[in-house]
Amino acid sequence: MKIDCTIDGKTLTLSLNSDKPLSLILRENIGIDSINHCNGKVCGLCAVLLDGKAVLSCLVPAFELNGKEVITFEAFQRTRGMKDIEKAYEMTGATPCNSCYASRSMIFESLIAEGVTDRSEILKQLSLVKCRCMTPDDEVNVVLKAIEIRRKRNVRRSQFA
Amino acid sequence: MYEGLSSPNIHTPRNMQEYSTIILHYPESTLWAGGTFIMSRPDAYPSRKPNQEIIYLGEIDELHRFQRNDRFAEFGSMVTLDEIISTGKTVLPKVLMDNIENIGSRLITRRATIGGAIAANELTTSFPGTLIVLDTNVEIKYIKKRRLHSRWIQLTRLLDRSGHIVIPSQGMISRVRIAFSDKNYQNFSSVGSFLTDPEDSVSIAFAATLNQDVLLNPTIALTYPKMGILYSRDIDNVFSSLRFPLDDEEYKSLEMIIFTFIDSSFQGLSNLQRVRTRGILREIIDDLNEKALTMPLQEE
Repeated sequence: MKIDCTIDGKTLTLSLNSDKPLSLILRENIGIDSINHCNGKVCGLCAVLLDGKAVLSCLVPAFELNGKEVITFEAFQRTRGMKDIEKAYEMTGATPCNSCYASRSMIFESLIAEGVTDRSEILKQLSLVKCRCMTPDDEVNVVLKAIEIRRKRNVRRSQFA
Repeated sequence: MYEGLSSPNIHTPRNMQEYSTIILHYPESTLWAGGTFIMSRPDAYPSRKPNQEIIYLGEIDELHRFQRNDRFAEFGSMVTLDEIISTGKTVLPKVLMDNIENIGSRLITRRATIGGAIAANELTTSFPGTLIVLDTNVEIKYIKKRRLHSRWIQLTRLLDRSGHIVIPSQGMISRVRIAFSDKNYQNFSSVGSFLTDPEDSVSIAFAATLNQDVLLNPTIALTYPKMGILYSRDIDNVFSSLRFPLDDEEYKSLEMIIFTFIDSSFQGLSNLQRVRTRGILREIIDDLNEKALTMPLQEE
């Protein structure tokens, strides 16, 4: 099956099995190793942004990708959005471990973009990541701090414009 | 890997007319709603079935609709659980909202659909049990004499003896109608994850009207993901006959009766599931005891 989609800003036409999970496409066809493929165990370590919203890539089949935009951590880490999150890690003193850094950062970005400040909502969304390197308080603090940083940046940008 | 090997054909109907044409041509097709159940199976990819046909229901507008009146809310089967939370938070029964919030991350509820949660071959969510407690009706579209027919049916009538929801062959759930419940005691409790720990998980949905010291119209559904849903009018009647608060002896005999029902329906319940079931039941009864003791007396 031919799939037209945009992955990390590149428009691609891929010839794939129609039910191939996105996590495997990213690993095997695109060569992105930071994505984990857990074979449906819902480990929470394969989050990507699909049209701006965080999804578990192991649950997205190839045929649903037609015309969609996928952003993986490889591309996201070079954006200003990631810089906000890194700054929040630094300011709160809570940084995820190497194994969940990519996935957690993608979920944080989705929460920050939506402006979610409700504690239970933040914890619920992050409940899929089983890694215990961050406490629930750390997770909430990082999201709130990153939202604050981004707001300040947006205000500065609008003042200069 | 596996490129070109048994790649399923995908059909994406845009309306029910197109759907009926496709299902008539390919009666053995797999219906694909949100895909969370299918994709979370360890053997989901590569497909083992040769010449597999998949009908993706996500493009049918009719299945994404939501409407409500003063008696019920009606959801198209492709409405996601996340959309249900955002559209019906103030009007839908508490037990339902608690259930959806308990399912977990929005990364899952954003993709899981109400129709898929009911029709999946295995219980990946505790959702069907809660819908049974709420006396939900579903509209089934099915093929008969090469035509698409539809019929509303109570969800409890789709429950077979083994506690599984069985959709008629070539049938599809198109709409789900949930009545607004005026029951003043609703409780949903779940322990363990249905997706990642199905052997030891359990959930209980309970709804009733507590009137002074008796329960009116109680309904309870116990869900064990690997086994099925236990719903029985007999258990409901046992709850109707109780007078609250219950003392320890009464509680023990209630627990024994419920476990007799559970053991007669499901064999091989794990010890952890037993302990967890006991814990949730105790929690419900303690809660009811407290409410019965603190409820203001009604004037004659």
